[in-house]
Amino acid sequence: MVAALLVGSLLSTSGFLIQVCTRNPLGDPYLLGISSGALFAVTLTFVFPPQSPLVFILRPLAAFIGGFLAYTLTHAIAMKAGYTPTSIVLSGVAVGTTLYSLSLLPQYLILFDIHKVFAWSMGSLIGAGPIELLTCFVILVGAYAIAHRYLPVLNALNVSDDFVRELGYDPGKLRRTMTGLAALTASISVAWFGIIGFIGLAAPHIARRLLGSGDVRYVLPTSIITGSVLLLLSDTAAKALFLPLDMPVNIIVSAIGGPTLAIVLMRMRKYAGS
Amino acid sequence: MLVVKKLEVFYGNFKAISNVNLKLRSGSLVAVIGPNGAGKSTLLKTIAGMLSYSGSITIENVEVRELSPWERIRYVTYVPATIATTVDITVGDLLLSTEGVDLRALENYVRMYDLRNLLNRRIWEVSTGELERALIVRGLSRLSKVYLFDELLSHIDLRYQIRVLKHLRRLVNEGRLVLVASNQLSPLLNFTDYVVAIRAGKLLAAGPTDEVICNELLKELYGVKAEIIRHRNLIDVVPIDEVKTSST
Repeated sequence: MVAALLVGSLLSTSGFLIQVCTRNPLGDPYLLGISSGALFAVTLTFVFPPQSPLVFILRPLAAFIGGFLAYTLTHAIAMKAGYTPTSIVLSGVAVGTTLYSLSLLPQYLILFDIHKVFAWSMGSLIGAGPIELLTCFVILVGAYAIAHRYLPVLNALNVSDDFVRELGYDPGKLRRTMTGLAALTASISVAWFGIIGFIGLAAPHIARRLLGSGDVRYVLPTSIITGSVLLLLSDTAAKALFLPLDMPVNIIVSAIGGPTLAIVLMRMRKYAGS
Repeated sequence: MLVVKKLEVFYGNFKAISNVNLKLRSGSLVAVIGPNGAGKSTLLKTIAGMLSYSGSITIENVEVRELSPWERIRYVTYVPATIATTVDITVGDLLLSTEGVDLRALENYVRMYDLRNLLNRRIWEVSTGELERALIVRGLSRLSKVYLFDELLSHIDLRYQIRVLKHLRRLVNEGRLVLVASNQLSPLLNFTDYVVAIRAGKLLAAGPTDEVICNELLKELYGVKAEIIRHRNLIDVVPIDEVKTSST
């Protein structure tokens, strides 16, 4: 339960930050390739035995580097493709699919405890020990504290780069910092629990709907609550519906997330297309 | 007092502003005029500290580039006429997307610019004129020493044009300095004390409205022959035809 709340918070923070930085309602660590990049980098660490204490440092570190590089690549491709909301997402899908399939390769080649690895990569909260939860908690609090300091400026970033400059900040630098935070929060979750998609996409949208406003000072805390509740409900449903199987929570999340994406897309047509 | 000395601004290799010197007193309303691409917006954005520059810009003897982020907005407010509407925010969100706002003033201006019924509408659902009104209100509600209105009067109708110019006069009477860049010389020039004319990034003329506005200047700035009508305190510029100048 604690794992669901923490991971839900981390993913919705990540999705929220990406949506503000790219001014793109389709921002989500999974859609933009961060999660797949982190997943790929983590599978490379499987050459070390899972009992090694080194794993506890190696996995989050690899996840962050992988996630950040994948996002950098997505960003670079999107820039070449005109940086429209659609091109950002399509670049993310291109990067994400490639890295996801590459991450399957070492899983089969190394072949230790394939079932466990497979369950992890499917996105599952099983195996949440104290170290996993503690690292998630520390990163969540740290990321929130930094984002909180910048919330008024993020409000300006959400509207126009000129408004950021007017407040005396460099929009490029601010974007890089916030993107780094988005990669960090998403990748720690991938490092321990694999890919859980769509929470980052759905939570900020539900939060904006609930608030009837896009003021980021309120959207961030509300989406963290929404995201953690959403994941908790999904996790409970995954357990209850498929008893005694331990169904990866991502299966339920994707079943909710897919339709959310469809709804957001249909709403976007009204403004992003014009 | 706003003092600009030897100002130069570059976009890559392109020199957008070259050697501009200006002294503008607090408590005046200044029109910044010039053709498209003359550098009006660049000049305003530079004064707002949004672009890096060489030379010096001081407001009340404080160098703009040395102002810290949160200090800066107490000195300068920059107001664009439009923004990209591809973001999912309401008009209300837009009004609150800034700092240093006087909430009571904001409430009053929201009423005066008839934005009350628009607050919950998304910014892509309102007209460009309504969006400009929202941006004007966002700027007016800020407390600064210098206000910079870019492309003001571009989209708003006559009633709101007069209303905003009256409000700018009120700010000026309270001792603030207001710069307005616009192509709507009428009715702007009836409300301004001072005119700054630029072309190709260079200062062409600066002085009291009455003294600066003349046929020669309009010809040199825009390449047009214009009728300048003066009646009591009013001044109106009516463009008649294009003329050939050395630069066109």
